[in-house]
Amino acid sequence: MASNDHDHKEEEAGETVTGEDEDTGAQITPIVRLEEVAVTTGEEGEDALLDLKAKLYRFDKEGNQWKERGTGNVKILKHRETGKVRLVMRQAKTLKICANHLVLPSIKLQEHAGNDKSCVWHATDYSDGELKDETFCIRFGSVDNCKLFMETVEKQAEAAGKKEEKESKDADDAAGQLEKLSVGETKVTSDKPEEKENTEVKAE
Amino acid sequence: MAYANQVDCPTFKLVIVGDGGTGKTTFVKRHLTGEFEKKYEPTIGVEVHPLDFHTNCGKIRFNCWDTAGQEKFGGLRDGYYIHGQCAIIMFDVTARLTYKNVPTWHRDLCRVCENIPIVLCGNKVDVKNRQVKAKMVTFHRKKSLQYYEISAKSNYNFEKPFLYLARKLAGDPNLHFVESPALAPPEVHIDLVQQQRHEEELAAAAAQPLPDDDDEPLD
Repeated sequence: MASNDHDHKEEEAGETVTGEDEDTGAQITPIVRLEEVAVTTGEEGEDALLDLKAKLYRFDKEGNQWKERGTGNVKILKHRETGKVRLVMRQAKTLKICANHLVLPSIKLQEHAGNDKSCVWHATDYSDGELKDETFCIRFGSVDNCKLFMETVEKQAEAAGKKEEKESKDADDAAGQLEKLSVGETKVTSDKPEEKENTEVKAE
Repeated sequence: MAYANQVDCPTFKLVIVGDGGTGKTTFVKRHLTGEFEKKYEPTIGVEVHPLDFHTNCGKIRFNCWDTAGQEKFGGLRDGYYIHGQCAIIMFDVTARLTYKNVPTWHRDLCRVCENIPIVLCGNKVDVKNRQVKAKMVTFHRKKSLQYYEISAKSNYNFEKPFLYLARKLAGDPNLHFVESPALAPPEVHIDLVQQQRHEEELAAAAAQPLPDDDDEPLD
């Protein structure tokens, strides 16, 4: 069984899937006892607008070269409540995060000069739990997938831009309203504590 | 990638040994950053890197002691093995001598670390012209080691050694890797000056070729 398994593996070297792992039956006393825990992906409140196999690279400025970052699935996720859109990519098999950043209105995608299945962009990435400036390049299995990715990201960036504009307009309007306000008899209560000083106001 | 600073999870000392040039450092680096380093720079003494994995039993950490394979850069040797809780012995399937030396690495390791889980890894199986065929690898059966054919270049079986060791250390054959939590990225504000700089960098980067000399398919 063992040697068959190996022959099989040898033929498939470089491929991804093999059968059940052969265990040579080493008798080892465990040194820790671990309890099963609830798994949180962090993506529970989001819908995937896109989910594609890809290979990600990051630009190494010092060496002026692209370096592999991971191979796995890239997702564009939209939060169901906040509407925020982000890009999350995980390494296949280990499921570690290799990219995690917001799709901001300022994001600019650009085709890679030498490869029509790939494109590049800049992001403030949060993969490691700290913000880092990164220049990414992503390569897909087909030109079509690359196009689909670019279109999806661009569409969401545009939508984020409109949302931001609207929010800042709303904020301006609100500020305008506030200027007109003066302290009066009628009480308007707010549940936001930071607006406490403005809770007793009345529109003229 | 992604290793937080807090060490509030089970941590294991993993010793990685094997002849020089078999790919120990490249393998560890692949797991750490995703990159595949082609350049060979012999490790001097030892380099310790924490490698975290998220499992259905919570986060675990391997402190990987990536040791020098070359005799002349060996340094402390036995000193590195002390308190090792698990190990990987690496050889290169394209260099017969590196397999021949496996028993020596195993003996040295076991002199210091008794009865720890050990994985034997035959690396570089992506290379077409291999010298050590799978059938010729028998050492692990005599010594009850686990054997995996791996490729740090293609990522073939690259997670298996860690998965096996984690299962043995926890005595749980069903332990498996799960998604590490993708935390919500904080808001960032990019001003026009930054934006312009990023765009210039982007244009320069887009002109640089990708490291893959081939255009291998994604599955």
